Amino acid sequence: MAERDTSRDIDQAASRWTARLDRGPLNPEEDKAFQAWLHGDPRRRGALLRAQALSMMSESAQALGPSFDPAAFQSPRRAPLAGLSRRQALGWTSAAAAVGVVVLGVGRPASGAVIRTERGEIRLAPLKDGSTVLLNTQSAIRVRYDEGQRLVTLLSGEAYFSVARDEKRPFVVEVYGRRLRTVQAGFRVRKLDHDPVDILVQQGRVELDASNLGGSSEAMALEANTRMVLPELIGGRTEQPQAIAPEIITRELAWREGKLAFEGETLQAAAEAFGRYSDTRIRIRDPNLAREPVSGLFAANDPVGFSRAIAHVFDARLEQDGDNVILTRAGGGH
Amino acid sequence: MIGADRQRTLWFLRNILPHESALRGWLSRSAPQGVDPDDIIQEAYTILAELETVETIRFPRAYLFQVARSVITRHVRRARIVSIHAVDDLDRLEHPDEAATPEQLAIDRDELRQLALAIAAMPVKTREAFVLRRVKGVPQREIASRMRISENTVETHISRGVLFLIDWFGRGGNKRSQTSKNTEVEISSLDGRTRHQSRH
Repeated sequence: MAERDTSRDIDQAASRWTARLDRGPLNPEEDKAFQAWLHGDPRRRGALLRAQALSMMSESAQALGPSFDPAAFQSPRRAPLAGLSRRQALGWTSAAAAVGVVVLGVGRPASGAVIRTERGEIRLAPLKDGSTVLLNTQSAIRVRYDEGQRLVTLLSGEAYFSVARDEKRPFVVEVYGRRLRTVQAGFRVRKLDHDPVDILVQQGRVELDASNLGGSSEAMALEANTRMVLPELIGGRTEQPQAIAPEIITRELAWREGKLAFEGETLQAAAEAFGRYSDTRIRIRDPNLAREPVSGLFAANDPVGFSRAIAHVFDARLEQDGDNVILTRAGGGH
Repeated sequence: MIGADRQRTLWFLRNILPHESALRGWLSRSAPQGVDPDDIIQEAYTILAELETVETIRFPRAYLFQVARSVITRHVRRARIVSIHAVDDLDRLEHPDEAATPEQLAIDRDELRQLALAIAAMPVKTREAFVLRRVKGVPQREIASRMRISENTVETHISRGVLFLIDWFGRGGNKRSQTSKNTEVEISSLDGRTRHQSRH
């Protein structure tokens, strides 16, 4: 049999036909092509139905009012050279407020200052060159700008850097003795207690200093949509950066919206992820339950709400005991 | 609206689409090896699109799962060599999990906000065209003159916008990875989406 279209190919074609049909009536030739497409594979009509339904759903954005400004919902991306605009700052703050995350201290740090976040806090730090750093929960950075470079040290936790272009002064992120260098990029760096350094580049290009790499003398470049986990030891064997799908990046960066996104992670892993954001601990008594896969988008600061949803779906019992939320399989069987 | 009439599309949007993530989750856990949940979902939707009437469907969610199950059975039968394993697997499909998934709860709670976030995340030009068309109801021809681009380009932006929503709300490269068989699919889909397609 000839190479079959993937379901993704079909979604793409369905989107194209949806847009074409939305534009206006088909001429006879186009209609013939459309019918041929529609009947060429048993999945196509269904894919078209879904595409048209989502297109229809998008009309409900009208409910957001005539002054709906998508920019207000945007995550910080490239910051303008002149610094964070007021609208951007407000937009981001209100978007974050809508999901219950506190954004504090939109003021420029003094040189050498340490900026840190408490558990459950997300903080946007605009830097004087127009770059911004968004700190996730329990994270800390130190900022030291000078003539030659813009140096930010990630002391702990996780941060997203939106770097404004400056050819003359590279932006350098130092993390556990490694140096990442860029002229302009949007990227995430994470160093959690027991995990290796994890770098995710969403936009632009980030270079890893050659001195970090064992053997090879050339700096390694991470392009947009790639991820790299650094070895524990400096000079240890370094894997090549891995390409990752934009959808996965969106998921990985859901915390910027105050959310946690799961796609089939175990309940145990999800519970631990919530542990980073609040003092509430989700404890799972039943090992089978702990292994259940979890999917969805949840407010990072609402472990109890998450637990309730879980209890509902997996038919588990939920008890609260101080800072502990305990989940057990209903019926006690295991 | 050609392809499916507006009434059917609306019914589908309200009664079927909210259960897609639950269906995909169930398929990922239960579908026999070599059966891609996304293929099954599209084919099940085709069946719903082609029904004479949907008025008699009282429990759309249960109906959807039933249709998906029939598609799987058809796939397994179509594959000439049916392994005993696959037949065993079919038994496990008897009782689809009828509970709402957390994903669905989350989307119900703030579907509108999700929509706003999705639109905000679109590439700038696509977003501009898409908002004009879908939110503000401006015809494609007029969008072209407002944005000073060709009508074909507008159409391309609209189509990208729709695909963006499909990814955002539905599949989003979200092949489940909790079982080894799906890991294989996931790897192949990352790798330029070379087809992990076996016996057809």
